[in-house]
Amino acid sequence: MIIELGHYALVLALATALIQAWLPILGARRGDRALMELGTSAALASFLLVAFSFAVLAFAYVTSDFSVKNVWENSHSLKPLIYKITGVWGNHEGSMLLWLLILVFFSALVALFGRSLPETLKATVLAVQAWIAAAFALFVLLTSNPFARLMPAPGEGKDLNPVLQDIGLAIHPPLLYLGYVGFSVCFSFAVAALIEGRIDAAWARWVRPWTLAAWIFLTAGIAMGSYWAYYELGWGGWWFWDPVENASFMPWLAGTALLHSALVMEKREALKIWTVLLALMTFSLSLLGTFLVRSGVLTSVHAFATDPTRGIFILAILVLFIGGAFSLFAIRASHLKAGGIFAPISREGALVLNNLILTTATATVLTGTLYPLVLEALTGDKISVGAPFFNMTFGLLMLPLLAAVPFGPLLAWKRGDLAGASQRLFAAAALGLLVAGSCYYAANGGPVLAPFGIGLGVYLIFGAVTDLVLRSGLGKVAFGVAWKRLSGLPRSAFGTALAHIGVGITLIGIVTVTAFETETVIEMKPGATVDAGRYSLRFDGMRQGRGPNYTEETGHFTVSRGGVTVTEISSSKRLYPARRMPTTEAGIRTFGLSQLYVSLGDATNGGGIVVRIWWKPLILCIWGGALVMMAGGIVSLSDRRLRVGAPSRARKSARFAVGAAE
Amino acid sequence: MLFWILVAILTAAVAAVLILPLMRAAAPLPSRHSHDIEVYRDQLDELNRDREAGLIGSEEAELARAEIARRLLSASAADTTAAEEPPKRLLSSRLAQAFILLCLPAVGLLLYLTTGSPGVPAQPLAARLANPGDDISILIAKAENHLALNPDDGAGWDLLAPIYMRNGRVADAVAAYDRAIRLLGPTAPRLGGYAEALVVQSGGLVTAEAQSALQKALALDANDPRSEFYLALGLRQEGKNAEALAAFRKLAGSSPADAPWLPLVNQHIAELGAAEPNTAAAPPANPTSEDIAAAEELDSGDRQAMIRGMVDGLASRLKEDPDNFEGWMRLIRSYVVLDQRDKARDALREGLNAFPASGEQGKQLLALGRELGIDASGEVK
Repeated sequence: MIIELGHYALVLALATALIQAWLPILGARRGDRALMELGTSAALASFLLVAFSFAVLAFAYVTSDFSVKNVWENSHSLKPLIYKITGVWGNHEGSMLLWLLILVFFSALVALFGRSLPETLKATVLAVQAWIAAAFALFVLLTSNPFARLMPAPGEGKDLNPVLQDIGLAIHPPLLYLGYVGFSVCFSFAVAALIEGRIDAAWARWVRPWTLAAWIFLTAGIAMGSYWAYYELGWGGWWFWDPVENASFMPWLAGTALLHSALVMEKREALKIWTVLLALMTFSLSLLGTFLVRSGVLTSVHAFATDPTRGIFILAILVLFIGGAFSLFAIRASHLKAGGIFAPISREGALVLNNLILTTATATVLTGTLYPLVLEALTGDKISVGAPFFNMTFGLLMLPLLAAVPFGPLLAWKRGDLAGASQRLFAAAALGLLVAGSCYYAANGGPVLAPFGIGLGVYLIFGAVTDLVLRSGLGKVAFGVAWKRLSGLPRSAFGTALAHIGVGITLIGIVTVTAFETETVIEMKPGATVDAGRYSLRFDGMRQGRGPNYTEETGHFTVSRGGVTVTEISSSKRLYPARRMPTTEAGIRTFGLSQLYVSLGDATNGGGIVVRIWWKPLILCIWGGALVMMAGGIVSLSDRRLRVGAPSRARKSARFAVGAAE
Repeated sequence: MLFWILVAILTAAVAAVLILPLMRAAAPLPSRHSHDIEVYRDQLDELNRDREAGLIGSEEAELARAEIARRLLSASAADTTAAEEPPKRLLSSRLAQAFILLCLPAVGLLLYLTTGSPGVPAQPLAARLANPGDDISILIAKAENHLALNPDDGAGWDLLAPIYMRNGRVADAVAAYDRAIRLLGPTAPRLGGYAEALVVQSGGLVTAEAQSALQKALALDANDPRSEFYLALGLRQEGKNAEALAAFRKLAGSSPADAPWLPLVNQHIAELGAAEPNTAAAPPANPTSEDIAAAEELDSGDRQAMIRGMVDGLASRLKEDPDNFEGWMRLIRSYVVLDQRDKARDALREGLNAFPASGEQGKQLLALGRELGIDASGEVK
């Protein structure tokens, strides 16, 4: 009965969303405050209903209720509890329910924290959120119902795809969805502004924190997905320019652009219309990503099931929302008042440059992702656009952007002094070149461009530090004063610096791994040794093992350096009998920021086994940089000023009192 | 009943939450410029703080102040001209309430009744294991759990194999028979069952592997009618009609007069006796209604399951590999023979998904549908 109650709650959430989609916006149009406030209650009610429904599905998974078709298809009674829970979203139906849950969660946040927003704006935003929620709830109920039942109930489930039986599934999809769906708030704000035909000052202040929050989650989700693919798939790669990866990367690029243009809008009330457009674009790319991954257009570990009706349904949602939003933009954008003016060389100018390059980069990735699909649909030819295309186009686009990054924070608002900024960056640039030179010397004959890539990373890091040093006046004034100034800097300044430092760290990681990693593929028999980086590995032999729902063969290796045993690595191949599927569990050992990566291949005749061994120098910088970027986002988000959206009640009444006294 | 009461309570609670704001007294809507004014004041405060902290030069601060002040001024001007709007209450407030009261139960019940399964209880595995009753899949699951821990329990596999067969899990039946034979040694019933499972798995075709198992079974027990029947069927499928005829005759001769399978064997004999030599070259491997009926008689305890197993085996293989035109034709025919016209229609539809109606093979499928009287109109996606 509880299962059916969960199902009914989901249906009721759809009905609530339909009400929330129309009555508040009607109220906003006609100035009826009661109808507008209905939006708040409805948003909270939908959230509770979907949350209940999701909890019921999770309950069905935990209790292995195989009368629920979705549980039967994706669970197994012997699976560890954590994978029973994560299995809820490790499949198409459940992940769409999670998508919906996060969407209504964000609506509820707007409802709760939006007390200070102008009433009509809030009501319109909530209505737009409800349109999206209603569309997706309908999609879930009609084409991907996780509550479909089976009678009679089977006795055992078909188990979860073994590749997904990993802690990564607990982290990656929820974070990614929080990012994807978080941008829906910016989208709804943009659509609301277009419907209302004006952009409030409060609007400008609201978009940035929401963008920032979504961006933090998306950064974390992408980085986690990349690390998961790296250790789970056993190919030793961390980014494949796979369409599914691009699907998440495009909203990130557009979101990064949005973050920066929202900054200009918040501070200077300029670039308003552009910010609206970017907000529409970012969420549209999130929807496109959802479509690409969920429709079965792409085959990958993410495409859990392919069903043409689902693809068409999502495509319809996509066309409706993206088409609708951009048409609205075309009709209404001219009603919005454009903001302030600025000189080309100014912080605004730098941010515009950032926006231009980031949107171009997004377009490049979009082209590379969609071109093969369109070509296949039109001519039936199968081509794959891979790393060479993206490295050439995207890589080249990033170079000027990265070189310009440290200039941004150093330029003044409105009118800047490029020569002055260059002088101030001289030290950072020199340091970058110095490190580049010494890398070249150390590698001596290694890839020529790599040292300069690393140099660029160092320059980014110290460019960000330069900004902080200059602002505090370190070196010019007494240390105590400088410290006081430094600690008095707004948190967003630290956030900026941290995020830019993170970009530099990631860049150093990417360049180092790409240029200096070593890969060895070798057939090994017990007792054989092989060198990787500064270490040598001895193969000790294979061992059989058994987990709760799999059997495994584990290869043991002893790692030594200069004849001294340092550590051990075990790498295994598992077989999950329920799905008759093998997986590889790569053996990874971390040395500082570098890693030794061992993956087992097939056994050969004569007791040997094919082993792939990589030495990956500084690879952890790639994800470490993403973590630092996230930290920057969080620091910036914690800036008190961002939370002061608009009138607090007490102050408002005080002002009215003053007004009355006058 | 309790379920519907809970549904009613949930619906009523949500309706109450939604209607509550509509019941409150109408309040005036503050001018939206007042929000802008607050934001600008806040920015001015921030600017002052920045200047006191020495974060911004006094000249820059003055410029910024001037700009914010300009905006503040224009917002204030707009604020005073826009008189506070009087509290508004729509005439349609009652309409809104009615809309909520109608929309919630109507959408809720309509969608739920079309997509839900009211009355199906939750069935947590632990509860089912504790009290299996006659829940066959749980009994199987229990046996499987037991065998997962004791994979060398041959008797368990021996017991489970025919149950798998009865439930249409043919591949599992093959594996279970195989283990039972390896652990407990071959006997005629085990080998016969194994061969039968193989035959069903290959969609009715008596494969070489099945034949070898059948021969071993006959070597152990020369009087195993099931093995004799399938061997004879295999001969017929190979086109060795004379040998098949002899084998069927021998089976008929050794069977008791009231044996349930006798009419079927006699039918084979009649057909083979009358058959022209060239029909022998016809493609083999079609489980005809006779074969199914034969199997039914031979295995009278498991008759329904036997048939279903055969056809389901074919259906599940087609699900995995739909690119098999012959298979779809065969499956559709089989369902019609079994008088499961719904499933035949589904199979036709799925077959048409794999072979679109525009193609030559799709047309053949449609023609077959017409011939058998299955309506495929509107089924092509």
